[in-house]
Amino acid sequence: MSEATKRSVPMLVWQVLLGAGLLSLWQVGVTYRWMDKFFFSRPSDVAERVWKMFATGSVWAHLATTMTEAALSFGIGVFAGVVFGFLLARNRWLAALLDPYIRIANALPRVVLAPIFLLWFGLGIWSKVALGVTVVFFIVFFNTYQGVREVDPVQLDNARMLGASERQLIRHVLIPSALTWIFSSLHISIGFAIIAVVVGEYLGASRGIGYTIAQAEGVFDTTGVFAGMTILAAVVLLVGAGVDRLERWLLRWKPNRDTSARQVG
Amino acid sequence: MSIVSVKLTNLARRFVSPKGNRYTAVQNISLDVGKGSFVSIVGPSGCGKSTILNMTAGLMEPSEGTIHVFGERLKGINRRASYMFQQDALLPWKTVVGNIELGLHLRGKDAKESRELALQWVDRVGLKGFADSYPYQLSGGMRKRAAMAQAWIVKPDIVLMDEPFGALDVHTRLRMEGEILRLWAESGETVMFVTHDLEEAIALSDEVVVLSAGPGSTIVGQYGVDLPRPRNLIDIKTEPRFGEFYRAIWSDLRKEVLKSYERSDEA
Ligand SMILES: Nc1ncnc2c1ncn2[C@@H]1O[C@H](COP(=O)(O)OP(=O)(O)OP(=O)(O)O)[C@@H](O)[C@H]1O
Ligand SMILES: [Mg+2]
Repeated sequence: MSEATKRSVPMLVWQVLLGAGLLSLWQVGVTYRWMDKFFFSRPSDVAERVWKMFATGSVWAHLATTMTEAALSFGIGVFAGVVFGFLLARNRWLAALLDPYIRIANALPRVVLAPIFLLWFGLGIWSKVALGVTVVFFIVFFNTYQGVREVDPVQLDNARMLGASERQLIRHVLIPSALTWIFSSLHISIGFAIIAVVVGEYLGASRGIGYTIAQAEGVFDTTGVFAGMTILAAVVLLVGAGVDRLERWLLRWKPNRDTSARQVG
Repeated sequence: MSIVSVKLTNLARRFVSPKGNRYTAVQNISLDVGKGSFVSIVGPSGCGKSTILNMTAGLMEPSEGTIHVFGERLKGINRRASYMFQQDALLPWKTVVGNIELGLHLRGKDAKESRELALQWVDRVGLKGFADSYPYQLSGGMRKRAAMAQAWIVKPDIVLMDEPFGALDVHTRLRMEGEILRLWAESGETVMFVTHDLEEAIALSDEVVVLSAGPGSTIVGQYGVDLPRPRNLIDIKTEPRFGEFYRAIWSDLRKEVLKSYERSDEA
């Protein structure tokens, strides 16, 4: 552990330096007119805009909408993904029956569904939630399915011999064993849930961060677009950090893992 | 006539290889294991020792034949048996004490009492101070000891053990064998013990069963070992009668081991 912290402190410094360096380049580039301000805006302007959005409080309603949609699609998607993953992993026949349809459904580019969902569910939050769910569901479903299938049969047999019922097997062996897989899917799907609902908002909504970005774009306000992106990125990072902590606690039985390599969102 | 705890009658088990070939692992296995006795099964690697235990545990259906447990035909999991697997079978997400109490927990026993009892077992198998460790933090021998406590805490009538000490060094092994004998003597449980180490089998058992080389492995010898108990595992191997048993059984086992070598060379 101490070895890891020793190494991660300088790495954090390097990471901050890299970010600061790139931002400064951008700032300088625009200030000295190597880059066109109209197309690229400027980090200081973006920061100012973000600050203003929070100061005036105008961002909160949009942020709340986006987060509600993302949370709903995440929650519904994860729940459905885990349940279906378990069901199909435990029932070979059902898995074989549904296999081609799941492949087809997963191969569809989700973006093309957005207009259809708009028609079906209207301009409100549910069309975005539906879009988010289609993304989250498949990621979680495939990982859960895989995770349950990869359970060590000896551990299952051992629990059975110790008297486990089918339900107890799920609770004591299958879920903990699949949790590693489910968590790796959570990291990815949180990011994708947010992206999906923002795309949904972008294509047709009256509220949300995606809507503000679309509005800014409509009047060629690059600063507004970047401000929206900045806020989204910050949110994804924050939520990802939360998941990381939860994961570290729930998977504390695993030998030291290298989580630094895993991307968040 | 004493009570028979496990009765195997004409057991056979076939497997189908990925290519579709049928492979008979064991056949014509008939064996009575008396209540409270310690029976070892020895045989060349791959002859079907684990297969026999798996069937007795109810985890694997026999292709032919029947299994009776205390007179009742076995259907599904053998509820009167505990099984210490050849492989690591502790649940990695549970602590040592969590693993040990699992059997009680699954049977719906009171949580507090289970925990207390499990902690006693932690001490009993020499894992004091490791109750809250996770399996990955233990050595191989310590994991085996936890698995031992996990199997014995539920007070089974029958304990199935599959090469529990195969991977351990001589000293740890001797200690664990001693612990097994002590547990067994205290509890009066029936033990079916698989090993490929003949010395270990003789030192521990009332009876040693020799299996032939596969395919179609079957019982080729049964030897009662009436060395006096309690046995001193450190000195027993130098006793003259131990040597007699060893030579007698080895002459049988040797043939099978050689056969299994030849067959694996052909393959
Ligand atoms: N699930 C299975 N599918 C196919 N073949 C199997 C299966 N289990 C066992 N076998 C075969 O049956 C034979 C006996 O296997 P088993 O594991 O019982 O041997 P063993 O005597 O326990 O060997 P070892 O001493 O190496 O543990 C082997 O040839 C093995 O390949
Ligand atoms: Mg075996």
